[in-house]
Amino acid sequence: MAEDSKRHLSRRTMEIATAIATAAAGGAVCYGAAEIGTGWTETGPAPGYFPFYIGLLIILGSLANLIRAFVKDWSGEIFLDSERARPVLAFALPLVGFMVGALLLGLYVATLLYVSTAMIWQGRYRWWIATLTGAAVTAAFYCVFEIAFQVPLLKGPIEDWLGIY
Amino acid sequence: MENFGHLLDGFATVISGYHLAIMVVGVMLGILVGVLPGLGAPNGVSLLLPLTFAMDPISAIILLSCMYWGALFGGSTTSILFNIPGEPSSVATTFDGYPMARSGQATRALTLAFMSAGIGAIAGVIMITLLSGWVARFALQFSSPEFFAVYFLAFASFIGMGANAPAKTLVSMMLGFALATVGMDTISGGLRLTFGVPDLIKGVSFLVAVMGLFGIGELLLTTEEGLRFEGIKARIRPLDVLRTMAEIPRHAIAIGRSILIGIWMGITPAGPTAASFMAYGMTRRFARNPEMFGKGDPRGIVSPETADHSAGTSALLPMLALGVPGSATAAVMMGGLMIWGLTPGPMLFIDRPDFVWGLIASMYLGNVVAVLLVLSTVPLYAAILRVPFAIIGPIIVAVIFSGAYQIANSTFDMWLVLIFGVVGYVFKKLEYPIAPLVLAMVLGDKAEDAFRQSMLMSNGSLTIFWSNSLVASIMGLGILMLGWPLIGKVMGFRNLIRRGRQNPSNAS
Repeated sequence: MAEDSKRHLSRRTMEIATAIATAAAGGAVCYGAAEIGTGWTETGPAPGYFPFYIGLLIILGSLANLIRAFVKDWSGEIFLDSERARPVLAFALPLVGFMVGALLLGLYVATLLYVSTAMIWQGRYRWWIATLTGAAVTAAFYCVFEIAFQVPLLKGPIEDWLGIY
Repeated sequence: MENFGHLLDGFATVISGYHLAIMVVGVMLGILVGVLPGLGAPNGVSLLLPLTFAMDPISAIILLSCMYWGALFGGSTTSILFNIPGEPSSVATTFDGYPMARSGQATRALTLAFMSAGIGAIAGVIMITLLSGWVARFALQFSSPEFFAVYFLAFASFIGMGANAPAKTLVSMMLGFALATVGMDTISGGLRLTFGVPDLIKGVSFLVAVMGLFGIGELLLTTEEGLRFEGIKARIRPLDVLRTMAEIPRHAIAIGRSILIGIWMGITPAGPTAASFMAYGMTRRFARNPEMFGKGDPRGIVSPETADHSAGTSALLPMLALGVPGSATAAVMMGGLMIWGLTPGPMLFIDRPDFVWGLIASMYLGNVVAVLLVLSTVPLYAAILRVPFAIIGPIIVAVIFSGAYQIANSTFDMWLVLIFGVVGYVFKKLEYPIAPLVLAMVLGDKAEDAFRQSMLMSNGSLTIFWSNSLVASIMGLGILMLGWPLIGKVMGFRNLIRRGRQNPSNAS
């Protein structure tokens, strides 16, 4: 991997990695299809018949992409450098945190926490503005999902404790 | 004029206070998702779809389709005022729309865009009104091999007509097919490709895939590009609107040409994005003074907008009449139809004419409602875009994950959204097309059923796809489409799209 003044991931590396990943996915599809039979049964094509060829096509296409990744002149194109990776990570990490929070605390509490902390850290808002906004968004979600459309969202221990179902 | 009578029946169904209210709500929500980064038409429709399960299908499809029209309009608004395309299909509108707005003619640019978009959409609906009955009747002769051939044609034209590398389109599409086969096999009842994961038994919902690929993936891209909304103050002056409307007839030729391009690209699954680029490229090529393009030329706004919207509406013709959607959003709507227990395709015209013609009638009304609404509410939506991303971003994320959860009350789906989000980000950056993946996920089961039944009919011989002139000509057309990259190179069409894609306004 080329190491310039800035650390970066080159487009070629990423193209190769993606082609290998899709080929592996194709391999997994073929393997899964082979387990349930890819041939011909008395009731027609076996369940794995269609997916098996789909998997083969994925592998075939991935190989073509792999060859193209090596052959094509990417003229040093960069996929992601450290400067651009920072805002992406600053957005993606809280997002994952929100996911985990939602699994532990339910979607409403996680939404409240996520919106307000993101506002405080990234938007540099005062804490009470952020908390109020978070609470307003959460309340709006509750109205839309639970009241207007009557679909329950994931709830956690705090709703249990408050007696909201 | 049998269709005309049906259409009047359709209007009778649709014109009611309730349905008009639904249209307004749908269009408003659509403009909202079109304006917000990370939420587009496919994603918005996916989020709304599970909420409509309790509604009757006609109201639900009016809501969803109006959201689609609204999103198309919203996408153009941000292109013109912020130089940020809200939708991939409105990228071409930024080339001339933003320069015109920046030179102080924001009202003119917006009016040109909305009016030509409305004309394009209505042209698409008229085409649907005239042709759908005929196409459906024709498709009634189809049996399994013909249906498989139609699917083959649709997917072959994606590979052949798309602007992306054909092998990348192939991989993306086949991944969609593979995902569609995960879970319970409808014919044998056995489990497929679940690899022992119990959460995979119910399969992978296309809605989850859309939310991750289009939603989270798009948001990651947006943050990477750095969000700075340097918008132009938009106040719509009624006098300017009228003056611009009087200008429209002067662009009749550009509009007419773009309508044809849009309808063709919409019916074939090339989709609105390719149509808008192609229309832009064509208009520039035929213009006497092409050096004006990229500096705020009205033709550069009118052409991509007309083509974008006529393609967007036309995409519903193959969805309704053949069961093959022409765009990612149409695919999501078709998935919705199947969830409501309606099978898109020729039989729908016989079993549920009230549904089909109600939808078509709502497309006329919905687009008129959309033009009026978008003209009157632009300043409102422009204000929403000024809300900092630190607030909007997390809210959109929370909406997407809540939406993903309530599809099947499954936390596993939330993980899938995250995975699809990363895949969508990487795929977009590496120019793997995403629409074919979604289309394949929606159509996967139907295509496989058609294939299996054909194989049963022929005892496993592929020659059934050449057994009569109808199926053979559809297959032949499909193979022609697969070979299109080679043919197109000779005729220079692909270059036209590619040239349209090169943003001339970057130079200025």
